[in-house]
Amino acid sequence: MPTEYLVIGGVVLVALLILIMLFKAFWRVAEPNEALIVSGLGARGKSDTADSLGFKIITGKGTAVLPGFQNARRLRLDSRAANLQVSCVTQQGIPVVVRGVVIYKVGDDLHSIANAARRFLDQQDSMNGAIHELFTGHLRSIIGNLTVEDLILNRERLTGETRASAADEMIKLGLIVDSLQIQEIDDETGYITNLGKPHAARIAAAARIAEAQRDQEATEAEQVAAANKAAAWRDSQIKQAAYQAEIDEAMARSRQAGPLSEASARQEVVVQETRAAELEASLAEQRLQAQVRKPADAKAYETVKLSQAERDARIAQAEAEARETELRAAAQASQVKQAAAAEAESVRLRGEAAAAATRATGLGEAEAAKARGLAAAEAARAQGLAEAEAAKAKGLAEAEAIRARSEALAENQEAVIAQQLAENWPQIVEAGSRAFGNVDHMVVLNGAQGVEEMLAKALTLGGTGLGLVRSLLNGATPAPAPAPMSSAAPVPAPTPVSSADPVPAPASAPGGSGGRERSR
Amino acid sequence: MIGKQGRVTGKIGPGLVGEVLVSVRGGVEAFYAHPTVPDEEIATGSIVVVVEFFPPRTVYVARALS
Repeated sequence: MPTEYLVIGGVVLVALLILIMLFKAFWRVAEPNEALIVSGLGARGKSDTADSLGFKIITGKGTAVLPGFQNARRLRLDSRAANLQVSCVTQQGIPVVVRGVVIYKVGDDLHSIANAARRFLDQQDSMNGAIHELFTGHLRSIIGNLTVEDLILNRERLTGETRASAADEMIKLGLIVDSLQIQEIDDETGYITNLGKPHAARIAAAARIAEAQRDQEATEAEQVAAANKAAAWRDSQIKQAAYQAEIDEAMARSRQAGPLSEASARQEVVVQETRAAELEASLAEQRLQAQVRKPADAKAYETVKLSQAERDARIAQAEAEARETELRAAAQASQVKQAAAAEAESVRLRGEAAAAATRATGLGEAEAAKARGLAAAEAARAQGLAEAEAAKAKGLAEAEAIRARSEALAENQEAVIAQQLAENWPQIVEAGSRAFGNVDHMVVLNGAQGVEEMLAKALTLGGTGLGLVRSLLNGATPAPAPAPMSSAAPVPAPTPVSSADPVPAPASAPGGSGGRERSR
Repeated sequence: MIGKQGRVTGKIGPGLVGEVLVSVRGGVEAFYAHPTVPDEEIATGSIVVVVEFFPPRTVYVARALS
């Protein structure tokens, strides 16, 4: 059994190997830089034109190739370089040898590949020769139309001319030019060398001029630098001298420093001694304070305190005595009060006894009196009724009189006042004559007439009082007592006037002074 | 090919064979270029559009950006 499996496995493996080998023999793959040209049985190109190529072009993929019936060959598409060397004459008739290189390749499109395949498939290595011949011919004609200057400088024109002349041939060959470079131009007559000489001479002259100028500038700069150096040297010397002087001065000062420091030390000693003396004086003063003044103060304080204590003691003693006296008086008063109370009690008791006796006698008398009283009361009642009638009649008459008087007062005050004045006339005259009471000697010039005038004036004083009374009555209440007001009335009148007068004077004074200031 | 835009790398004009670079087949290739309008000159660096294509490598172009 295992042998059969092995055989079957071996057969399968061999068949697989044979298949792979067949596939490898049939299948061809085109690399990116090459094109497979398949020709033979059934190799019809997938061209968009009606005409068949007669072969198949494969790029970038694989294809089956039947061995014996079909043939596949590779056309390299990568770039190639052809060296050119051309001996030619320029437009100016100058013979030159131009060396260059042309880099070209087979075109990538099917037409170019077909053209190139038809021309170069079996002779790909001889392609460089053909290109060399082609480009040397074209370059010769191109350079014949160019000057040396164009050749050197105008590379665009060279490439443009090359393209124009070689384009058709390159298309026929299926090739494209990637680059055309002129590497070297050999000039036998020295034209190019001479071409550069004026410029070279100009450059050389400019270089010499520049060199001379720079040399001059350098020399000037050197001289300036030398002068500066001399100035710097001089400054340095001056500074050195100044520093030396400072050093000398400092040294001299240091030499004097010994005695100076000695003197200053001595001065310091004197200062310290002075301070010590001051401290000693201060100490003596402090000692004096402590030993003399403080005890004296303490003694004075003690004396003061002692005298104060003594005084307080005396005051306390006096107060105690006063209190004692007071208490003693109180005690005596209380004693007297108690005695009086006892006396009063005895008097009351005696009184009560007497009252009891009196009441006993009174009761008897009362009975008698009652009988008498009843009779008397009847008589008194009759009499009282009669009196009451009379009093009522009298009160009504008085009320009527009062009412009439108040009406009269309301209607005609002056009449009432005059009546009251008339009623009070004696008092008024007395008040007026009181002024004469203080007169010791009175000389009357006009005799009896003068006395009359005097009396009249005194009475008019009373009259003015009357006027005042009237005014008061007009103002408010019916006159309570007009006569006493008459003497007091004239007094208050002058005082407001005298107090009112000084007030405006100060108010006007600042204004006046201000005016004065303004005028100044 | 036709309708693609390209950049002029060689002056295009009457009597000249210009060159344009056109993006084609996954790369950029150079084509010989001629003006579509006779006597037109297209300077280097201009952008052109391919109007006609003559295989393998000849195109007629017009200015793409005026």
